[in-house]
Amino acid sequence: MSGMFQIILPAAILISGAFIIYLLTRLLRLSNKAEAILTLVVLSITLSLLIYGYINIPNLIDRPDGVFGTSEPGGIIYSPNAIGVFILIVAVVIGIMVTLYSGEYLSRDPRYLLYYPLILLLIAGLMGMFISKNLFNLFLLTEFVTVTASALIAFRFYQEIAIKAGFKYLIMSSLGTMMMLLGIYFVFRSTGEMHLDKVLASPDNFTRIGAASFLLGFSLKAGVVPLHTWVPDVYGHAPSAISGLLAGVISKSMLFIMPPICLRLGMSRMELGGYLMIFACFNMLIGSTRMLKQPLLRRFLSFSSISQTGYLMFALGIGFYYDLEQAFSAALFLFLIIAVMKSLAFLSAGIYEYYSGSQNIDQLSGIGTFIPLPALFFGISLAGLAGIPLLAGFIGKWLVFSAAFASGDLFAIICLIVFLISSVISLGGYLPVLVKQYQPSSTSQFSRHQSVKEMIISKWMLVPVGVLTLLVVIMGLYPSPMINVVNFIVRWMMI
Amino acid sequence: MRFYEVLLPGITVFPIIGVVVLLIWGKAKKSQAAVIGIISEGLALIITLILLVPLRRNGVVLFTMPWIPNMSISFTLSLNWLSLVFLLTEILVTLTAMIYSLGEETGEKMSSYYYALLLLFSLGMSGTTLAEDVFVFYIFWELMLLASVLLILIWGHGKTRDKVALKYFIITHLGSLMVLVCLITLYVNIGSANISVWMDQAQALSSNTQIFLILFFIIGFSVKMAIFPLHIWLPDAHTVAPMPVTIILAAAMLSMGTYGILRFPFALFSLENIQSFAIWMMIAGLLSEVYGALMALAENDIKRIIAYSSVSQMGYILFGLGTLTSRGMQGAIMHVVYHAIVKALLFMVVGIVIDVTGERQVQKISGLARRYPWLSVCAAIGVLGISGMPPLGIFNSEWMIFAGGFDSGISTVLTVLTLIGSLLTVVYGLRFFGIVFIGEIKPKQLPEKTPRSLLIPTMAVTVFLIIEGLFPGPLLSWAIKGLANIFGGTL
Repeated sequence: MSGMFQIILPAAILISGAFIIYLLTRLLRLSNKAEAILTLVVLSITLSLLIYGYINIPNLIDRPDGVFGTSEPGGIIYSPNAIGVFILIVAVVIGIMVTLYSGEYLSRDPRYLLYYPLILLLIAGLMGMFISKNLFNLFLLTEFVTVTASALIAFRFYQEIAIKAGFKYLIMSSLGTMMMLLGIYFVFRSTGEMHLDKVLASPDNFTRIGAASFLLGFSLKAGVVPLHTWVPDVYGHAPSAISGLLAGVISKSMLFIMPPICLRLGMSRMELGGYLMIFACFNMLIGSTRMLKQPLLRRFLSFSSISQTGYLMFALGIGFYYDLEQAFSAALFLFLIIAVMKSLAFLSAGIYEYYSGSQNIDQLSGIGTFIPLPALFFGISLAGLAGIPLLAGFIGKWLVFSAAFASGDLFAIICLIVFLISSVISLGGYLPVLVKQYQPSSTSQFSRHQSVKEMIISKWMLVPVGVLTLLVVIMGLYPSPMINVVNFIVRWMMI
Repeated sequence: MRFYEVLLPGITVFPIIGVVVLLIWGKAKKSQAAVIGIISEGLALIITLILLVPLRRNGVVLFTMPWIPNMSISFTLSLNWLSLVFLLTEILVTLTAMIYSLGEETGEKMSSYYYALLLLFSLGMSGTTLAEDVFVFYIFWELMLLASVLLILIWGHGKTRDKVALKYFIITHLGSLMVLVCLITLYVNIGSANISVWMDQAQALSSNTQIFLILFFIIGFSVKMAIFPLHIWLPDAHTVAPMPVTIILAAAMLSMGTYGILRFPFALFSLENIQSFAIWMMIAGLLSEVYGALMALAENDIKRIIAYSSVSQMGYILFGLGTLTSRGMQGAIMHVVYHAIVKALLFMVVGIVIDVTGERQVQKISGLARRYPWLSVCAAIGVLGISGMPPLGIFNSEWMIFAGGFDSGISTVLTVLTLIGSLLTVVYGLRFFGIVFIGEIKPKQLPEKTPRSLLIPTMAVTVFLIIEGLFPGPLLSWAIKGLANIFGGTL
């Protein structure tokens, strides 16, 4: 074993933390809130390590021995990844919010014991996917993420629908990982190597097939149309907090793991960029049109999530197709704000569901006058997703626009037109939902003539949701620091 | 930084303070909320008037503050003669609407939010006129839209209000997006978001890009101006909105499109490239004028009659801009102001008519002149005003627009057609007045008097209209200086 232990230190802390927390809670019979606090401690330690890693990125990456493990055949190898550090910081921050939120959200659930360790393992798996340099190892870690995620999705196993959702995710995601396995077969057959950097030296047609398989596998996990069918069912029926984490961070980060692998396996930047841009258009259109008239709140958010995957792919696609650094910055910034806004939307939708027992938009209409604060937060998340000025979404939109125009090419402009159409259609989706919060319909639980029992929202839920809202507003009003971070990270995106 | 430069953002800051106070004091009574709203808007007006001093001395007042340095965006505001005209119009209209609101029922519930949104609406417009940085411009531009949508949505009349608000939002937002596309194209190509930098460098862009941008800018802003056939949001939005909001929409917000056209395509690009759009702008103006007038003639809902008249009047403005002559454009700018006064007056009259009769259909109302002589005097002056009767303002501006049309030498036929088309205005104006105010009194049960709280502001506006028409001097000189601001001396 050689190299730097600190590369895998955060993941090691997460994994050991998961076991220790499980054992402690089991042995000491801790309550849900106590377990949440323990999880928060582990996540905070990880976050500080990651931030330390972020500061040290230049030293870490330029060191010749900056790897962990061995590159001999059959050995595993990890190397630091700047983009990974950035995305994991986002993931851990969202994870912290989700954990805090679950302190109340899971309090009616008898099986909370497993929940927090699973969240930690999920994040650890994601971390491993970023730093892994060995294809087989990558495959294992992807499976690891899939299994933990489906356990979390089906967490409320006493609900039939949750089991269905978890099962659907498991089957679909396994299909994706199978594709990856197929890709590994082709790569290994041709090169006899699993190590990504060594494969890079000799790409041929077999490795290109491998690249295509990986592309498909990751596309499935990211929810790229037409492989998006699992998205609405899963996000619609998983626990809200988990939907927030998955939709906001985990599935979108697949789009950042995929490019370096595909490029190393011999796919050209133009091919990758073109693929991303064309399918981005489908994602944007399908997501925004299917979003209209959805009766269920979280299903509605799931379809909007599909269109955001499209926006992200669009920005990334421009970056690869035209070799445009600006587009990569836009993509990273977009990832950051979508993570914040999307998890905010799911978490506040979860508050509605938790206190009213319904996620039907019509039945929930008029809820805004009864719980004004969560309604405000939810409203800000929707307005942010819609790209209303002074909120984070608008800055993202501006950056993507600038990137598309900076390319100055017809292809990008055509995709941009699709982007515009999709953003107008989705406005038609966001606005009515936003307004219905304040206008009770006849079928509403919150119409005037019905007596509504008073709802006092727990601080455990209000605080994380409030913090996320604040982030959406701050990043809209004063995006400079975040743009600096993104511009600092982006040079490792250009690989 | 000098005293005046620090004063300039006050025009936007005082309304914001007002909004914050109103939001904190959520349960304020209507009169209390109104006082806060009027004071903060009044302070903005006073600052604007104070700034006339340095404006006269320097020709421009500039305030700048760094905002997002790594996107080269700064919070820059500037007041010049062109923005002054639009700013004053907008602030005065908002103040009128706020005072008028006191007399009628709008905003009885959730008063403080109502006035807060009126302030935000006005803030959006004043920010749009003052912004020197396009990022700031677009933010204010969208704020204006959002505030008005919420006003219609919450305080609008009728069950269809959410559909109407959505339609209004989506259609005008499409226009905004076209503008945004242009703004970002320029931002990327020039590498700055500052409009004065653009004015120096935009002409260096390739001719094709310029033509594409001019087209998109003009169409995008025409949506806001409700030029035929992009007007489809206007009649419904005006009908459903509560009367004070309708006044602001028609009298102030529509003209923001005019400001946009002057500020962006006209100020940035070379005249040769704009020239190729001149005739199309004139044709669109003519169509809009005639179509709006015909629809106003065909409508039976009195609020819709006046709403369609806006489509028609915006046609004159676009026609004036399209002439590309100094006289035509001066006329267009003056028309913005006169139209604002007349349209505010007419809507105020209609508001009183609806208030006393409880009816909106022309067939059910007649003979109000006998019962309400003062109201009918105001209405008569309003109708004469919009028909272009001297010495009321619109006569002056129409005169200049037509003169510009003949000057331009583009198409005399079009100008003559527009001139003839303006007769339709007289027809629908007189029809409105004739049916509503002359004849037998209908409906039978009418209150003795019009509410004084509504009539007094209406009469004040009437007097203001007459004064403005008699003394067009200052306005004309501002319009001339405003055009000099954007064209230099090239026109």
